[in-house]
Amino acid sequence: MLAPKRVKRRKTHKGKMRGKAYRGSRVSFGEYGLQSTEAGWITNRQIESARVAITRHVKRSGKVWIRIFPDKPVTKKPAETRMGKGKGNPEQWVAVVKPGRMMFELEGVTAETARRAMQLASFKLPVRTQFVVRESQL
Amino acid sequence: MEATLNLELRGDAGKGVARKLRRAGRVPAIVYGGGEAPVMVSVEAQEALHLFQAISVENTILNLSLGDANERVLVREVQTHPFRPEILHVDFLRIRRGVPIEVQVPVHLSGIAAGVRIDGGRMDQVTHDIPVKCVPSKIPEAIEVDVTSFAVGDVLRAGDLDLPDDVENLADPGLVICGVASPTISLDEEDEAAEDVYDEDGPAAQPESDGES
Repeated sequence: MLAPKRVKRRKTHKGKMRGKAYRGSRVSFGEYGLQSTEAGWITNRQIESARVAITRHVKRSGKVWIRIFPDKPVTKKPAETRMGKGKGNPEQWVAVVKPGRMMFELEGVTAETARRAMQLASFKLPVRTQFVVRESQL
Repeated sequence: MEATLNLELRGDAGKGVARKLRRAGRVPAIVYGGGEAPVMVSVEAQEALHLFQAISVENTILNLSLGDANERVLVREVQTHPFRPEILHVDFLRIRRGVPIEVQVPVHLSGIAAGVRIDGGRMDQVTHDIPVKCVPSKIPEAIEVDVTSFAVGDVLRAGDLDLPDDVENLADPGLVICGVASPTISLDEEDEAAEDVYDEDGPAAQPESDGES
């Protein structure tokens, strides 16, 4: 699964997810894309699950790009622990996604196959998404 | 290819004016270049959206009608909403007859490559448009490339493109346009890799520090 090799800080603040993704919001590598229309945290497990869903559906044809990377650690306190005593332990990695972010791209398959593959991937993600075709971009 | 668009002059600039225009169903725009002063204009949002969806935006000459005056322009930039089909702003560049200009022209691949059809390779288009220089009347709508003879490993570079005589290719001749890649992962291997991910039952990944405590 995707995770940073090393980090400067083990724990980070929660942060905010204001605004829209003006960068990384277009289909830049492939022909088809899956774009987020709301903000959220996508874990590395969800990214991997979506990738597997796409790869299985397109079988050996096509090429997949993952355009988000989970570089933010999320901490969690152990169960049945009293509050206090410092911040919890890092449990998972997430990618912060803003509305408009192109999360996955696909090339080398038919439009119908791509649409279905992206739909299967979207079922694995915690944000609303839309299917985008490069040609329809202005 | 040419198309027509109706414009209206706008007096003021700034985000407040622009937002007011957008709420009224218009898009702020600007016309510049050609040795004349820039003119701030606005255009009907739906009309512009329908037109831009129907044409190849970068290389179509537009006839702008601004009151009694007419301008021949190219669309230099269209700013859009990140995920809705909404235009936020348009830049128009004036063109002069007979003066060469630089434009981006899309490269279209036609046919199915032999390497894809017979050997199961994958056609990988890396570059989707290239810069060219020519007079406005000679701007090609698209550069069509027949890839039916391409085998696995064949690569098309910008220098190999067959352009009309009066169109100058400004792209690096070594720039890769497309190529036929061999299938790298077999179906079985991929499925096994996928199963590994699903079977994984270990602890969640732990962030590691490089000495930071």
